[in-house]
Amino acid sequence: MIEAAPTEKRLLRLDMMPHMLCPGCGHGIVFDAMLRVLARRYETLDGVAFVAGIGCSSRVVGYVDSATMHTTHGRPLTFATGLKLARPDLKVIVVTGDGDGLSIGGNHLIHAARRNIDLTCVLFNNEIYGMTGGQLAPTTVPGAFTSTSPEGNHEEPFDAARLVEAAGATFVARAQSFRTRLFEEVFAEALDHPGFSFVEVLTDCTEYFGRTNHLGTGADLLFAQGREEPAVDADLATRPTLRPVPEKRTRPTLATGVLHRSRRSTLEEAMGLVGGAR
Amino acid sequence: MSARTAEPTSEKEASPVSGNIVVAGVGGQGVIMASNVIAQVLLDAGFDVKKSEVHGMSQRGGTVVSHVRFGHDVHSVTVEPGTADWVVAFEWEEGLRALPYLADEGVAFVSTERRLPPASMSDHRGGALAYPAADASPRGVVAIDTAAVAGDAAATRAAVAQTVLLGAVAARLPFPAEAWHTAIRSWVPPKTVEENITAFERGRAHKPASPTRLRQAPVVARPPALVSIEAAWCKGCNICVAVCPERCLELDRFDVAVFAHPERCTGCQLCSWLCPDLAIDVSYQAQEEHVHAAAGPR
Repeated sequence: MIEAAPTEKRLLRLDMMPHMLCPGCGHGIVFDAMLRVLARRYETLDGVAFVAGIGCSSRVVGYVDSATMHTTHGRPLTFATGLKLARPDLKVIVVTGDGDGLSIGGNHLIHAARRNIDLTCVLFNNEIYGMTGGQLAPTTVPGAFTSTSPEGNHEEPFDAARLVEAAGATFVARAQSFRTRLFEEVFAEALDHPGFSFVEVLTDCTEYFGRTNHLGTGADLLFAQGREEPAVDADLATRPTLRPVPEKRTRPTLATGVLHRSRRSTLEEAMGLVGGAR
Repeated sequence: MSARTAEPTSEKEASPVSGNIVVAGVGGQGVIMASNVIAQVLLDAGFDVKKSEVHGMSQRGGTVVSHVRFGHDVHSVTVEPGTADWVVAFEWEEGLRALPYLADEGVAFVSTERRLPPASMSDHRGGALAYPAADASPRGVVAIDTAAVAGDAAATRAAVAQTVLLGAVAARLPFPAEAWHTAIRSWVPPKTVEENITAFERGRAHKPASPTRLRQAPVVARPPALVSIEAAWCKGCNICVAVCPERCLELDRFDVAVFAHPERCTGCQLCSWLCPDLAIDVSYQAQEEHVHAAAGPR
């Protein structure tokens, strides 16, 4: 007798599979880890809603058998804010990418964090615009080649976790697609957290970032992440620059794990939508 | 080697002037305590006794061997291979491992209890390596199903069953039962004195018949895993092939991952966790059925 297969597959829209992500794309790994966490806590996703913007990362919500919204570019948090205020009983999960959440929707991100609305926002950071053709993103590391930085990036990137923490988020964590168990851990904590919880996941774009920068295939990028895993602590490490371009370039070292956690009254509590300040 | 006057296989009437005993087993079985009991009896009988032991991985399933040498004047603390008059082994494979110590005319009392040695985990599966069969007992080996002989004396504490072997060796030595009882009382935990003495007496009375069959089925550390791959979802990114520590997976000529070497799989799930296409599932065979299958027809 073979025991029942792992249960996260029951949360998929099986008729939509296989998904459209490229071979070796880290987003699929993070998506699977999200489903595993949700499969452990929910029998069905009736009480859960997914909101996503535009981009490779945001496409993953289309494969979840749940209430999902695929919204306009950069605006998943505004749609989610409306949804949460109308239906405070729903567990609203926002899936966004680094271009969607930090550039086009950067304003919405900091204001959602400031309002401390009870959302769980997962930002897939692959340091590039994958879906639109590999353009420079606000998270692209200095020195990296993209289709809009053919001589290497000259800009300093956003540190998404530190930005959101400064904007007032009450739960900030960072994980990697290589460390799926770490991601599962912090994502589960983010779901439990009352208030705006933000999880940045470092994933890899194999086609536009990996191939353009000669970093190898999906497996090479993934293991490069693993080799540079720093100690998990609350102290945000600073990004070393990649310029001048070294011979072998890999993702810079960043602190992972839960980086910030605090408690203040959420927007719903302040508006009296849920049972008072806890 | 010191001179002996007694035939080791002879009964109580012969009185040895010297002898060598090797007690072997697995960490946590009470090897050291048993050799302490033997040494206590010998000391009380007025012998010079030297005892030494190797117990690096005690309590962790590793080999524990204790050497007891007695005589009028003993110098060396270890038993030379081929010179042990008695080998007392609490575990079947440890008993066979200790056989090179046995003298030509020596007798080994070996429990048929079996503990899967850590070495057989080298294939990361457990239970897959052949374990020596009890039927093929070498000459001089008396196999004793200690748990069966001890019966209800070992009902609450399985380790008590090994005291049967002390009884078996005591039956070959010219010391009164009271001396053994006294030594057992002074070394075993106070709560287990009566159980141990009962098991000891049953072992003393036990007449070993033909070699006993192994009582236990193989112990399996982890049931084998089944990796199922949704071929239609696989995009051939090679991550699972690269990440598998046991090299179980391969890409076929269509660049689709296949579970090529199921016999090596440990069920670590890395391939499933790191598959970007959600194409890999790891499931486990139920534990009992696997043990049953591995034990084979009895």
